[in-house]
Amino acid sequence: MPIGADLVLHEQPDPEKTRNDGIALGRVIEQTARRWHTPLAIPLMDLRLEKADLLARIGIASNDAESYHFTAPLDESTLSALCGEQAAPLCLGSVARDQAVNYISSIGDLVAIGMAIGPFSLATRLMSDPIAAAALAGRGIAPEDSAEVRLLAQSLHAAEAAVLRSVRSQIAHGARAVMICEPAACTAFISPRQLRAGSQVFERLVMEPNLRLKAVLDAAGCDLIFHDCGELIDPMVEAFGARLHPVILSLGGSRKLWLDARLVPSDVVLYGNLPTKSFYSDGAMPVEEVVRRSSELHANMKACGHPHILGSECDVLNVPQARSTILAKIDAMMAVTATRD
Amino acid sequence: MPQQSDLYDAILNGDAKKARATTETALAEGVAPMELIQGSMVPAMDEVGRLFEAEEYFVPELLLSARAMKSSLDLLKPLLSASGQKMSTRIVIGTVKGDLHDIGKNIVASMLEGGGFEVIDLGADVSPESFVAAVKDRSPQIVCMSALLTVTMPAMKTTIEALKNAGVRSQVKVLVGGAPVTMQYAKEIGADGFSENANGAVGLVKNLLAGAAA
Repeated sequence: MPIGADLVLHEQPDPEKTRNDGIALGRVIEQTARRWHTPLAIPLMDLRLEKADLLARIGIASNDAESYHFTAPLDESTLSALCGEQAAPLCLGSVARDQAVNYISSIGDLVAIGMAIGPFSLATRLMSDPIAAAALAGRGIAPEDSAEVRLLAQSLHAAEAAVLRSVRSQIAHGARAVMICEPAACTAFISPRQLRAGSQVFERLVMEPNLRLKAVLDAAGCDLIFHDCGELIDPMVEAFGARLHPVILSLGGSRKLWLDARLVPSDVVLYGNLPTKSFYSDGAMPVEEVVRRSSELHANMKACGHPHILGSECDVLNVPQARSTILAKIDAMMAVTATRD
Repeated sequence: MPQQSDLYDAILNGDAKKARATTETALAEGVAPMELIQGSMVPAMDEVGRLFEAEEYFVPELLLSARAMKSSLDLLKPLLSASGQKMSTRIVIGTVKGDLHDIGKNIVASMLEGGGFEVIDLGADVSPESFVAAVKDRSPQIVCMSALLTVTMPAMKTTIEALKNAGVRSQVKVLVGGAPVTMQYAKEIGADGFSENANGAVGLVKNLLAGAAA
């Protein structure tokens, strides 16, 4: 199954209206699951919602949230407003997301799944230059010695609070699992060179907040699906699989899942990871290559005996000029498991 | 000269403070700005690029080195302007209309500055009209466009068409990049080049310029 809700959303007469209408969005998610014959009702991957809700707490309008970045360390009152327990209205998209989860939860043969951006990835979206800040942190520069490192720490604190609020809300609306998406937890933001030299930056910035999140999910009896489509090194995959121990680990197209099977526990289902970001281009990814890669992946995963769901490396975005091309390749990918199982 | 070696090391090690300090010292001792650029800064960034290709340096190291270079270059630019000297090539860069992602574009911009080029950064969500205006106003040799989403990539084609319609397409080389972009797509839309990463963009620009000079 692909992560395909965006494709189905854009079949609706008014996709933007549907996006903000919880029941209509729920129907889209239901249709997506039924179209690709899965009980997993994976939601629309909109990773902007938590940032919008977070920044609304300090008066930033939803329309301005995506392009808004902190440029200097935050004062105490701002941090308190961002991280505090006080309730605040959610943006339309978040309300719809929760209503959609609730809609799905009433359908007996589908698993209602929530979705949220991960704390580290959200922190990177709150800053204009997160890579430099993470790199300085990775060199051991402390928050008290660098405004950038201090801002990163504050952003991560605020981000973790925002993600927890989002996750709790979705659980309250009936989510039985939550897909946490951490595309920034990768080698573009965290240097393998620093990790090899003994830096704890991956542990501090990625693993610690996600482990706290996992504990909250565990306490609520909710499963974790962990998604990271970024470029990773083996120790990162190992940490995600063994220490976060999600029920499903979804990885990007750069990984060979049959090799990653050696890194993760046997009860962690691997999901993915056809390079669907290039499905729009017949030149870059002809349908014959989709079939070849799908077949190779399917065969290798069967051979290694690790549980696997053949799917996309990330959500498959609707590209109007290439919609039929993309859908044909999704069909080709799905046909591989249909003929071989 | 020891300052030049210190400057080279500071950039290689991504130490912006030291890069700036050694530049100040070198200038105070009468070293010419262009000598610092060509003798230390560009070679240091060339080595950074080599280490990146060898997978010894990664994007974070690239960025810190580029920032160190920039901190030094910021001291030199006013001196170069005052003496009428120019960086060899002017490049306009931006993320296309509808796309707010700018981290990759910022890294490319930093690396291009580190490669000794003058970079005019238009930011993110840049309309075709803004790219056209920048070409008309600033006369760059190169236009670089970034897109991170398949849904925003078509704006690259729209921008190239806008450059054609404005009669300025032949004045510039157009390079494209970003996670979903491929060489095939670059060719389809009439771009002159594509790079998979920031370091590759520097090499591509140098190759294009060498080809143009030949």
